[in-house]
Amino acid sequence: MANEKNSATADRELLVTRVLNAPRTLVWEVWTNPDHIKNWWGPNGFTNTIYSMDFRPGGKWDYVMHGPDGTDYKNKSTFIEIVKPEKIVMVHDSGPKFTATIRFEEQGPGKTFISWHMLFDTAEEFIRTVKTFKADEGLQQNIVKLDQYLQNLKQ
Amino acid sequence: MYYRIIMRRDVYQAIADPTRRQIIAVLAGKSLTLNNVADSFGISRQAVSKHIKILTECGLVAVTDKGRERHCQATLQPLHEVAEWINHYRQFYEAQLDSLENYLATLQTKNKKHGKRKK
Repeated sequence: MANEKNSATADRELLVTRVLNAPRTLVWEVWTNPDHIKNWWGPNGFTNTIYSMDFRPGGKWDYVMHGPDGTDYKNKSTFIEIVKPEKIVMVHDSGPKFTATIRFEEQGPGKTFISWHMLFDTAEEFIRTVKTFKADEGLQQNIVKLDQYLQNLKQ
Repeated sequence: MYYRIIMRRDVYQAIADPTRRQIIAVLAGKSLTLNNVADSFGISRQAVSKHIKILTECGLVAVTDKGRERHCQATLQPLHEVAEWINHYRQFYEAQLDSLENYLATLQTKNKKHGKRKK
């Protein structure tokens, strides 16, 4: 990972990692099979509609994430590099442009270390995205609050 | 009810510009005079003054006059705000990993049950 995380890109990247309690073959399967990925992609409470997932270098992935509050998030990505069962590189084409590199490493029996690295094209785009993200979420919370308020009024 | 709109610069304007990011980085290491900053970046004193002015308005740089010289010092507290935004964005991906973790746990529990039935 040293080649992906360095000071030159520190202001436009994000890395999340996790040790998953599952063998790498299974983690790879649920990541790369549309019938599985639609069931877990996004935070808890999200559902997904996958229009197409052409899982090969140059292949397109077209899907919509449905947020718990009913908001739809359209996404289009292109797979760049696939090294089974170790690595997936894809470019997010819609919205903020970033490259995601997902690595899968075996870690002891039945455990997989997953690292998820997002590298934005520019620091400006990264800052704009994180800022917009929170703004959007604040807006959603407001909608939830408004909804609760209206529910209370009805009673 | 009415709102008062306050026009102010925020920390994002400060760090949206590459030169300003470099100025912050240099000043974070040591305080410099305005002339020192201009010299180390090879840009005009006027251009540096403009950048420093914006950085001051964003609360990232404090300027104190000492005799004829203007000393610039980095005040990095507002950058914590940026760290908070980024951390919030990170939570989205952490939550996605939570979801993957749960899904894998559910799948494996199902498989185990299925295995037992076979016996």
